Amino acid sequence: MYIAVALALVLTMGLALIRALLGPSVYDRVLAVNMMGTKTVLLLSVITFAFGRPDFLDLALAYALINFIGVLAVLEFFRKRPELDPENNPDHNAEGAE
Amino acid sequence: MNAIFGIFLLTLMLITAIAVVRTRNLFVATTLMGIFSLLLAANFFLLDAADVALTEAAVGAGISTVLLLSALSLTAEQEKPGHRGRLLALAVVLVTTLALLHATLDSPRLGDIDAPVHQHVAPWYIENTPTAIDVPNIVTAVLASFRGYDTLGEVFVVFTAGIGVLFLLGHYPHKQAHKPHEGLRHYLIQRLVGRTVIPFILLFGFYVQFHGDFGPGGGFQAGALVAAGIILYALIEGTDRALNIIPKWLLNGMVAGGALLYGGVGIASMLMGGNFLDYSVLSSDPVAGQHLGILLIELGVGITVTGVLLSIFFAFASRKHF
Repeated sequence: MYIAVALALVLTMGLALIRALLGPSVYDRVLAVNMMGTKTVLLLSVITFAFGRPDFLDLALAYALINFIGVLAVLEFFRKRPELDPENNPDHNAEGAE
Repeated sequence: MNAIFGIFLLTLMLITAIAVVRTRNLFVATTLMGIFSLLLAANFFLLDAADVALTEAAVGAGISTVLLLSALSLTAEQEKPGHRGRLLALAVVLVTTLALLHATLDSPRLGDIDAPVHQHVAPWYIENTPTAIDVPNIVTAVLASFRGYDTLGEVFVVFTAGIGVLFLLGHYPHKQAHKPHEGLRHYLIQRLVGRTVIPFILLFGFYVQFHGDFGPGGGFQAGALVAAGIILYALIEGTDRALNIIPKWLLNGMVAGGALLYGGVGIASMLMGGNFLDYSVLSSDPVAGQHLGILLIELGVGITVTGVLLSIFFAFASRKHF
Protein backbone atom coordinates (compact mmCIF):
# COMPACT_ATOMS: atom_id res chain seq x y z
CA MET A 1 0.00 0.00 0.00
CA TYR A 2 2.68 2.47 1.09
CA ILE A 3 4.85 1.31 -1.78
CA ALA A 4 2.12 2.10 -4.33
CA VAL A 5 1.69 5.58 -2.89
CA ALA A 6 5.45 6.15 -2.86
CA LEU A 7 5.70 5.02 -6.48
CA ALA A 8 2.93 7.39 -7.51
CA LEU A 9 4.69 10.23 -5.68
CA VAL A 10 8.03 9.47 -7.31
CA LEU A 11 6.36 9.47 -10.73
CA THR A 12 4.77 12.83 -9.94
CA MET A 13 8.20 14.14 -8.99
CA GLY A 14 9.45 12.98 -12.37
CA LEU A 15 6.62 14.87 -14.11
CA ALA A 16 7.37 18.01 -12.08
CA LEU A 17 11.01 17.71 -13.05
CA ILE A 18 10.08 17.50 -16.73
CA ARG A 19 8.07 20.72 -16.37
CA ALA A 20 10.99 22.40 -14.59
CA LEU A 21 13.35 21.38 -17.38
CA LEU A 22 11.10 22.36 -20.26
CA GLY A 23 9.85 25.63 -18.82
CA PRO A 24 9.23 27.65 -20.88
CA SER A 25 8.33 30.53 -18.56
CA VAL A 26 9.81 31.31 -15.17
CA TYR A 27 6.48 30.64 -13.49
CA ASP A 28 6.40 27.07 -14.78
CA ARG A 29 9.74 26.46 -13.18
CA VAL A 30 8.89 28.12 -9.88
CA LEU A 31 5.68 26.12 -9.66
CA ALA A 32 7.56 22.95 -10.56
CA VAL A 33 10.05 23.57 -7.74
CA ASN A 34 7.21 24.26 -5.34
CA MET A 35 5.44 21.06 -6.38
CA MET A 36 8.69 19.15 -6.05
CA GLY A 37 8.96 20.42 -2.48
CA THR A 38 5.43 19.35 -1.62
CA LYS A 39 5.97 15.93 -3.15
CA THR A 40 9.19 15.53 -1.19
CA VAL A 41 7.32 16.25 2.04
CA LEU A 42 4.72 13.62 1.12
CA LEU A 43 7.31 11.09 -0.02
CA LEU A 44 9.25 11.45 3.25
CA SER A 45 6.05 11.00 5.26
CA VAL A 46 5.09 7.88 3.31
CA ILE A 47 8.58 6.41 3.63
CA THR A 48 8.63 6.95 7.40
CA PHE A 49 5.48 4.85 7.73
CA ALA A 50 6.63 2.28 5.16
CA PHE A 51 9.83 1.80 7.17
CA GLY A 52 7.95 1.86 10.46
CA ARG A 53 9.96 4.85 11.75
CA PRO A 54 7.27 7.47 12.39
CA ASP A 55 9.68 9.41 14.62
CA PHE A 56 11.44 10.55 11.45
CA LEU A 57 8.31 12.51 10.56
CA ASP A 58 10.20 15.49 12.02
CA LEU A 59 11.98 15.79 8.72
CA ALA A 60 8.86 16.14 6.66
CA LEU A 61 7.79 18.86 9.11
CA ALA A 62 11.06 20.71 8.61
CA TYR A 63 10.60 20.56 4.84
CA ALA A 64 7.05 21.81 5.00
CA LEU A 65 8.21 24.83 7.03
CA ILE A 66 11.31 25.61 5.00
CA ASN A 67 9.75 25.30 1.53
CA PHE A 68 8.00 28.62 1.96
CA ILE A 69 11.28 30.56 2.25
CA GLY A 70 12.47 29.66 -1.24
CA VAL A 71 9.23 30.89 -2.82
CA LEU A 72 9.46 34.19 -0.91
CA ALA A 73 13.07 34.60 -2.04
CA VAL A 74 11.96 34.19 -5.66
CA LEU A 75 9.22 36.81 -5.17
CA GLU A 76 11.67 39.23 -3.57
CA PHE A 77 14.12 38.61 -6.41
CA PHE A 78 11.57 39.62 -9.04
CA ARG A 79 10.42 42.60 -6.98
CA LYS A 80 14.00 43.86 -6.95
CA ARG A 81 14.74 43.07 -10.56
CA PRO A 82 11.43 43.71 -12.36
CA GLU A 83 13.24 43.88 -15.69
CA LEU A 84 13.84 40.15 -15.42
CA ASP A 85 10.17 39.41 -14.92
CA PRO A 86 8.93 38.02 -18.24
CA GLU A 87 5.55 39.66 -17.71
CA ASN A 88 7.07 43.15 -17.72
CA ASN A 89 9.34 42.35 -20.60
CA PRO A 90 7.73 40.21 -23.28
CA ASP A 91 10.93 40.09 -25.36
CA HIS A 92 12.72 38.47 -22.54
CA ASN A 93 12.23 34.79 -22.93
CA ALA A 94 13.71 32.71 -20.14
CA GLU A 95 14.98 29.86 -22.19
CA GLY A 96 16.67 27.15 -20.32
CA ALA A 97 17.76 23.63 -20.55
CA GLU A 98 17.39 22.99 -24.22
CA MET B 1 12.30 -1.90 -3.24
CA ASN B 2 14.55 0.62 -1.59
CA ALA B 3 17.10 0.20 -4.36
CA ILE B 4 14.51 0.91 -7.08
CA PHE B 5 13.52 4.19 -5.42
CA GLY B 6 17.17 5.05 -4.94
CA ILE B 7 18.03 4.42 -8.59
CA PHE B 8 15.00 6.40 -9.77
CA LEU B 9 15.83 9.39 -7.57
CA LEU B 10 19.51 9.25 -8.54
CA THR B 11 18.53 9.23 -12.23
CA LEU B 12 16.37 12.31 -11.68
CA MET B 13 19.31 13.94 -9.88
CA LEU B 14 21.63 13.17 -12.78
CA ILE B 15 19.18 14.71 -15.27
CA THR B 16 18.84 17.80 -13.07
CA ALA B 17 22.60 18.15 -12.69
CA ILE B 18 23.16 17.95 -16.45
CA ALA B 19 20.42 20.54 -17.00
CA VAL B 20 22.06 22.87 -14.44
CA VAL B 21 25.34 22.65 -16.34
CA ARG B 22 23.70 23.04 -19.75
CA THR B 23 21.50 26.06 -19.05
CA ARG B 24 22.85 29.58 -19.60
CA ASN B 25 20.06 31.19 -17.58
CA LEU B 26 21.33 31.51 -14.02
CA PHE B 27 17.86 31.87 -12.52
CA VAL B 28 16.83 28.57 -14.09
CA ALA B 29 20.01 27.02 -12.73
CA THR B 30 19.13 28.28 -9.24
CA THR B 31 15.64 26.79 -9.33
CA LEU B 32 17.00 23.51 -10.65
CA MET B 33 19.54 23.46 -7.80
CA GLY B 34 16.57 23.66 -5.42
CA ILE B 35 15.11 20.53 -7.04
CA PHE B 36 18.51 18.85 -6.92
CA SER B 37 18.71 19.51 -3.21
CA LEU B 38 15.23 18.08 -2.57
CA LEU B 39 16.07 14.91 -4.49
CA LEU B 40 19.35 14.60 -2.62
CA ALA B 41 17.58 14.86 0.72
CA ALA B 42 15.05 12.19 -0.26
CA ASN B 43 18.01 9.97 -1.18
CA PHE B 44 19.70 10.56 2.17
CA PHE B 45 16.45 9.66 3.81
CA LEU B 46 16.19 6.40 1.88
CA LEU B 47 19.67 5.55 3.16
CA ASP B 48 18.36 6.07 6.71
CA ALA B 49 20.60 9.10 7.26
CA ALA B 50 17.96 11.24 8.94
CA ASP B 51 20.42 13.72 10.46
CA VAL B 52 22.03 14.46 7.10
CA ALA B 53 18.64 14.72 5.39
CA LEU B 54 17.58 17.28 8.01
CA THR B 55 20.70 19.34 7.33
CA GLU B 56 20.03 19.18 3.61
CA ALA B 57 16.44 20.27 4.25
CA ALA B 58 17.44 23.34 6.20
CA VAL B 59 20.51 24.39 4.25
CA GLY B 60 19.87 23.10 0.74
CA ALA B 61 16.18 23.77 0.28
CA GLY B 62 15.92 26.96 2.32
CA ILE B 63 19.06 28.96 2.81
CA SER B 64 21.15 28.17 -0.25
CA THR B 65 18.28 29.17 -2.58
CA VAL B 66 18.05 32.50 -0.76
CA LEU B 67 21.81 33.04 -0.88
CA LEU B 68 22.06 32.09 -4.56
CA LEU B 69 19.19 34.41 -5.46
CA SER B 70 20.66 37.29 -3.46
CA ALA B 71 23.99 36.75 -5.20
CA LEU B 72 22.17 36.56 -8.54
CA SER B 73 20.40 39.87 -7.92
CA LEU B 74 23.85 41.53 -7.81
CA THR B 75 24.92 40.16 -11.15
CA ALA B 76 23.60 39.50 -14.65
CA GLU B 77 21.00 36.86 -15.36
CA GLN B 78 22.72 35.16 -18.25
CA GLU B 79 25.93 33.27 -17.90
CA LYS B 80 28.73 34.74 -19.97
CA PRO B 81 29.84 32.30 -22.63
CA GLY B 82 33.38 31.25 -21.95
CA HIS B 83 35.25 28.82 -24.15
CA ARG B 84 38.75 28.90 -22.75
CA GLY B 85 39.80 25.94 -20.69
CA ARG B 86 36.61 23.97 -21.21
CA LEU B 87 38.38 20.94 -22.64
CA LEU B 88 40.89 21.04 -19.81
CA ALA B 89 38.07 21.19 -17.26
CA LEU B 90 36.28 18.31 -18.98
CA ALA B 91 39.47 16.26 -18.96
CA VAL B 92 40.03 16.89 -15.25
CA VAL B 93 36.45 15.94 -14.44
CA LEU B 94 36.60 12.81 -16.58
CA VAL B 95 39.87 11.64 -15.00
CA THR B 96 38.50 12.28 -11.50
CA THR B 97 35.25 10.47 -12.32
CA LEU B 98 37.09 7.45 -13.69
CA ALA B 99 39.39 7.37 -10.65
CA LEU B 100 36.38 7.55 -8.30
CA LEU B 101 34.51 4.87 -10.27
CA HIS B 102 37.58 2.67 -10.07
CA ALA B 103 37.78 3.28 -6.33
CA THR B 104 34.13 2.36 -5.78
CA LEU B 105 34.79 -1.06 -7.32
CA ASP B 106 36.97 -1.87 -4.31
CA SER B 107 34.57 -0.53 -1.69
CA PRO B 108 32.22 -2.97 0.00
CA ARG B 109 28.61 -3.13 -1.16
CA LEU B 110 26.03 -0.95 0.60
CA GLY B 111 24.93 -2.68 3.80
CA ASP B 112 27.44 -5.50 3.40
CA ILE B 113 27.83 -7.16 6.78
CA ASP B 114 31.50 -7.90 6.08
CA ALA B 115 32.35 -4.24 5.45
CA PRO B 116 35.12 -3.04 7.79
CA VAL B 117 32.86 -0.42 9.36
CA HIS B 118 30.44 -3.13 10.50
CA GLN B 119 33.26 -5.30 11.86
CA HIS B 120 34.71 -3.15 14.59
CA VAL B 121 33.74 0.56 14.33
CA ALA B 122 29.95 0.56 14.40
CA PRO B 123 29.58 -2.35 16.89
CA TRP B 124 31.89 -0.55 19.32
CA TYR B 125 29.76 2.60 19.21
CA ILE B 126 26.51 0.63 19.48
CA GLU B 127 27.88 -1.31 22.42
CA ASN B 128 29.41 1.58 24.33
CA THR B 129 26.94 4.41 23.77
CA PRO B 130 24.28 3.17 26.23
CA THR B 131 26.77 2.70 29.09
CA ALA B 132 29.14 5.62 28.49
CA ILE B 133 26.82 8.36 27.25
CA ASP B 134 23.27 7.00 27.42
CA VAL B 135 21.58 8.94 24.61
CA PRO B 136 19.22 7.17 22.20
CA ASN B 137 20.60 8.87 19.07
CA ILE B 138 23.98 7.23 18.54
CA VAL B 139 24.78 9.71 15.77
CA THR B 140 24.73 12.51 18.34
CA ALA B 141 26.89 10.48 20.73
CA VAL B 142 29.47 9.82 18.03
CA LEU B 143 29.39 13.35 16.66
CA ALA B 144 29.45 15.26 19.92
CA SER B 145 31.37 13.07 22.31
CA PHE B 146 33.31 10.16 20.82
CA ARG B 147 34.47 12.25 17.86
CA GLY B 148 34.22 15.63 19.55
CA TYR B 149 37.58 16.70 18.10
CA ASP B 150 36.31 16.26 14.54
CA THR B 151 33.19 18.27 15.28
CA LEU B 152 35.31 21.00 16.88
CA GLY B 153 37.25 21.05 13.62
CA GLU B 154 34.02 21.33 11.63
CA VAL B 155 32.84 24.24 13.76
CA PHE B 156 36.10 26.03 13.14
CA VAL B 157 35.76 25.34 9.41
CA VAL B 158 32.32 27.02 9.49
CA PHE B 159 33.79 29.85 11.58
CA THR B 160 36.70 30.32 9.16
CA ALA B 161 34.41 30.20 6.13
CA GLY B 162 32.17 32.85 7.70
CA ILE B 163 35.15 35.10 8.41
CA GLY B 164 36.38 34.61 4.85
CA VAL B 165 33.04 35.66 3.35
CA LEU B 166 32.80 38.64 5.70
CA PHE B 167 36.29 39.79 4.68
CA LEU B 168 35.11 39.90 1.06
CA LEU B 169 31.56 41.21 1.53
CA GLY B 170 31.26 42.37 5.12
CA HIS B 171 31.91 46.09 4.70
CA TYR B 172 28.38 47.12 4.01
CA PRO B 173 27.34 50.61 5.09
CA HIS B 174 25.59 50.65 8.42
CA LYS B 175 23.27 53.55 7.74
CA GLN B 176 22.24 53.26 4.14
CA ALA B 177 21.89 56.35 2.01
CA HIS B 178 19.37 54.76 -0.31
CA LYS B 179 15.83 54.16 0.79
CA PRO B 180 15.42 51.46 3.41
CA HIS B 181 14.76 47.97 2.26
CA GLU B 182 11.07 47.27 2.70
CA GLY B 183 10.89 43.60 1.96
CA LEU B 184 7.52 42.06 1.15
CA ARG B 185 5.63 43.65 4.00
CA HIS B 186 3.08 45.28 1.69
CA TYR B 187 2.01 41.93 0.28
CA LEU B 188 -0.80 40.66 2.47
CA ILE B 189 -0.67 36.91 1.88
CA GLN B 190 3.09 36.63 2.14
CA ARG B 191 3.14 38.74 5.29
CA LEU B 192 0.38 36.82 7.03
CA VAL B 193 1.67 33.38 6.12
CA GLY B 194 5.22 34.38 6.96
CA ARG B 195 4.31 35.81 10.35
CA THR B 196 2.40 32.62 11.14
CA VAL B 197 5.21 30.34 10.04
CA ILE B 198 8.19 32.14 11.65
CA PRO B 199 7.41 31.19 15.29
CA PHE B 200 6.97 27.56 14.28
CA ILE B 201 10.28 27.51 12.40
CA LEU B 202 12.06 29.00 15.43
CA LEU B 203 10.29 26.61 17.80
CA PHE B 204 11.19 23.68 15.58
CA GLY B 205 14.79 24.93 15.47
CA PHE B 206 15.01 24.96 19.27
CA TYR B 207 13.33 21.54 19.39
CA VAL B 208 15.95 20.15 17.01
CA GLN B 209 18.68 21.84 19.07
CA PHE B 210 17.70 20.42 22.44
CA HIS B 211 16.12 17.18 21.25
CA GLY B 212 19.15 16.15 19.20
CA ASP B 213 20.16 13.54 21.79
CA PHE B 214 16.88 11.71 21.25
CA GLY B 215 15.89 12.22 17.61
CA PRO B 216 17.44 13.39 14.37
CA GLY B 217 19.11 16.74 14.67
CA GLY B 218 21.61 18.75 16.64
CA GLY B 219 23.44 22.02 16.53
CA PHE B 220 24.13 22.19 12.80
CA GLN B 221 20.54 21.55 11.78
CA ALA B 222 19.13 23.78 14.51
CA GLY B 223 21.48 26.61 13.58
CA ALA B 224 20.37 26.42 9.95
CA LEU B 225 16.68 26.30 10.92
CA VAL B 226 16.88 29.29 13.26
CA ALA B 227 18.82 31.20 10.62
CA ALA B 228 16.14 30.26 8.07
CA GLY B 229 13.44 31.65 10.36
CA ILE B 230 15.25 34.96 10.77
CA ILE B 231 15.98 35.15 7.02
CA LEU B 232 12.25 34.68 6.44
CA TYR B 233 11.64 37.63 8.77
CA ALA B 234 14.20 39.68 6.84
CA LEU B 235 12.50 38.81 3.54
CA ILE B 236 9.10 39.88 4.82
CA GLU B 237 9.94 42.90 6.95
CA GLY B 238 13.08 44.05 5.18
CA THR B 239 16.71 43.63 6.13
CA ASP B 240 16.82 46.92 8.02
CA ARG B 241 14.24 45.81 10.57
CA ALA B 242 15.91 42.42 10.86
CA LEU B 243 19.26 44.12 11.49
CA ASN B 244 17.61 46.18 14.22
CA ILE B 245 16.62 42.98 16.00
CA ILE B 246 19.90 41.19 15.44
CA PRO B 247 22.53 43.90 15.08
CA LYS B 248 25.86 43.24 13.48
CA TRP B 249 27.84 43.22 16.73
CA LEU B 250 25.56 40.47 18.04
CA LEU B 251 26.10 38.43 14.87
CA ASN B 252 29.87 38.82 15.16
CA GLY B 253 29.64 37.79 18.79
CA MET B 254 27.60 34.72 17.84
CA VAL B 255 30.08 33.69 15.12
CA ALA B 256 32.97 33.82 17.57
CA GLY B 257 31.07 32.98 20.75
CA GLY B 258 29.75 29.58 19.66
CA ALA B 259 33.19 28.35 18.64
CA LEU B 260 34.56 29.80 21.88
CA LEU B 261 31.91 27.99 23.93
CA TYR B 262 32.84 24.69 22.26
CA GLY B 263 36.55 25.23 22.92
CA GLY B 264 35.76 26.49 26.42
CA VAL B 265 34.00 23.23 27.30
CA GLY B 266 37.16 21.42 26.21
CA ILE B 267 39.37 23.66 28.36
CA ALA B 268 36.98 23.34 31.29
CA SER B 269 37.13 19.57 31.16
CA MET B 270 40.94 19.82 31.11
CA LEU B 271 40.93 22.12 34.16
CA MET B 272 38.66 19.69 36.00
CA GLY B 273 41.14 16.91 35.57
CA GLY B 274 40.07 15.13 32.38
CA ASN B 275 41.29 15.15 28.81
CA PHE B 276 40.38 17.87 26.32
CA LEU B 277 36.66 17.46 25.46
CA ASP B 278 36.26 14.57 27.92
CA TYR B 279 32.90 15.62 29.37
CA SER B 280 32.74 12.87 31.99
CA VAL B 281 34.53 15.06 34.54
CA LEU B 282 32.10 17.98 34.18
CA SER B 283 29.75 16.47 36.74
CA SER B 284 30.14 14.08 39.64
CA ASP B 285 28.28 11.43 37.62
CA PRO B 286 30.15 10.67 34.34
CA VAL B 287 26.95 10.08 32.33
CA ALA B 288 25.42 13.34 33.58
CA GLY B 289 28.70 15.05 32.71
CA GLN B 290 28.46 13.67 29.17
CA HIS B 291 24.89 14.96 28.84
CA LEU B 292 25.95 18.41 30.06
CA GLY B 293 28.95 18.49 27.74
CA ILE B 294 26.91 17.43 24.70
CA LEU B 295 24.24 20.03 25.48
CA LEU B 296 26.83 22.80 25.76
CA ILE B 297 28.84 21.96 22.67
CA GLU B 298 25.68 21.49 20.57
CA LEU B 299 24.64 24.93 21.76
CA GLY B 300 28.01 26.28 20.67
CA VAL B 301 27.63 24.64 17.25
CA GLY B 302 24.12 26.05 16.86
CA ILE B 303 25.15 29.60 17.81
CA THR B 304 28.10 29.64 15.41
CA VAL B 305 26.11 28.18 12.49
CA THR B 306 23.26 30.66 13.01
CA GLY B 307 25.71 33.54 13.26
CA VAL B 308 27.68 32.58 10.16
CA LEU B 309 24.62 31.93 7.97
CA LEU B 310 22.95 35.18 9.01
CA SER B 311 26.16 37.17 8.55
CA ILE B 312 26.54 35.83 5.02
CA PHE B 313 22.89 36.57 4.24
CA PHE B 314 23.06 40.14 5.54
CA ALA B 315 26.37 40.71 3.76
CA PHE B 316 24.61 39.89 0.47
CA ALA B 317 21.28 41.47 1.31
CA SER B 318 22.68 44.81 2.45
CA ARG B 319 24.38 45.43 -0.87
CA LYS B 320 22.90 47.80 -3.39
CA HIS B 321 20.28 45.68 -5.13
CA PHE B 322 18.96 43.05 -2.81
